[in-house]
Amino acid sequence: MSAAATVTATASTDRSVLERAIRFNLIVVSITMGFVLGAVLWLATAILLVRGGTHVGLHLGLLGVFLPFYSVSWPGAFIGAFWGFVGGAVSGAILYGAYARSLRRGITTGLLESGERTGIRLPVMLMSGPALGLGLGTLGALQLFLATNWLVVRGTAAYSENAALLGQYLPGYTVSFAGSLIGGAQVFAIAFIVSLFVAAVYNKIARGRAQR
Amino acid sequence: MQVMNDNAVERLVKAAFARMDAVALGTSIGALGAILLSLATGFLLVKGAGSGEHIGPHLGLLANFLPFYSVSWGGAVIGAIEAFAIGFAVGALLAVAWNLTHHIWLMLIVRGTYEGQQL
Repeated sequence: MSAAATVTATASTDRSVLERAIRFNLIVVSITMGFVLGAVLWLATAILLVRGGTHVGLHLGLLGVFLPFYSVSWPGAFIGAFWGFVGGAVSGAILYGAYARSLRRGITTGLLESGERTGIRLPVMLMSGPALGLGLGTLGALQLFLATNWLVVRGTAAYSENAALLGQYLPGYTVSFAGSLIGGAQVFAIAFIVSLFVAAVYNKIARGRAQR
Repeated sequence: MQVMNDNAVERLVKAAFARMDAVALGTSIGALGAILLSLATGFLLVKGAGSGEHIGPHLGLLANFLPFYSVSWGGAVIGAIEAFAIGFAVGALLAVAWNLTHHIWLMLIVRGTYEGQQL
């Protein structure tokens, strides 16, 4: 085999390992986010039911607009957990899919080698703030766009007072198609800044702990 | 002939199975939750409300999930502490789930390779 063919084969093998790893990571992130969101929705519903009172879950129950058959009741808690899992898994796939685009360009740019050299000691990953921002921003903007336009399509936009409250934090946002674009752009920007913050804090602490 | 560049493959495998630092992820997500809730509460307080109106009746519903939270300066501090605790738990849980699944996957690969060599 010529040197050129060897290099090509090596690159192909590396690519294959990388793609398999990205596929596996995507599944892990999707399932984990699915479980977390499903558990959060179940727990939120259960807390309100246990607390009881009049008009239980008046506001949380509005999620039934987006999640078919969901209500603040015990059966509804499990239906919500199902939809939470589905939503979390899809969100996880979109988030990691966007993050992986940057990994394909330079997967090893963010690794911390441990001082220990005994046995299999895998490095600690460092986060890429811009890559996370791209993923989280895309996800947040998409969710706001879809949620807002679902209210528009079903004809309840004018009555969606709770959704309209987002305008308190997102100037110019309204429950309309134009508002979904304005709000989506702002959510993308906020999520990008938030991601830079999360990555910076994470990387600083991880570096500090790795040096010990 | 060895067609795989050992360093390149090792580099990729390390990157693919790299661990997450649970404490770092928990702290960063916890800090984010605390800051966002403080800002959201502070924003409403600074903005104020008309005479006879409550400030932040909707955000105040978080008290259903965060004991002692309210849309007030004291509530903002209490909410920040609770948001940090919840964020830390979620972040650490995510990191542990990530590390555990990758550890299991790596063990399965190592075991499969070892059994393949035995055959």
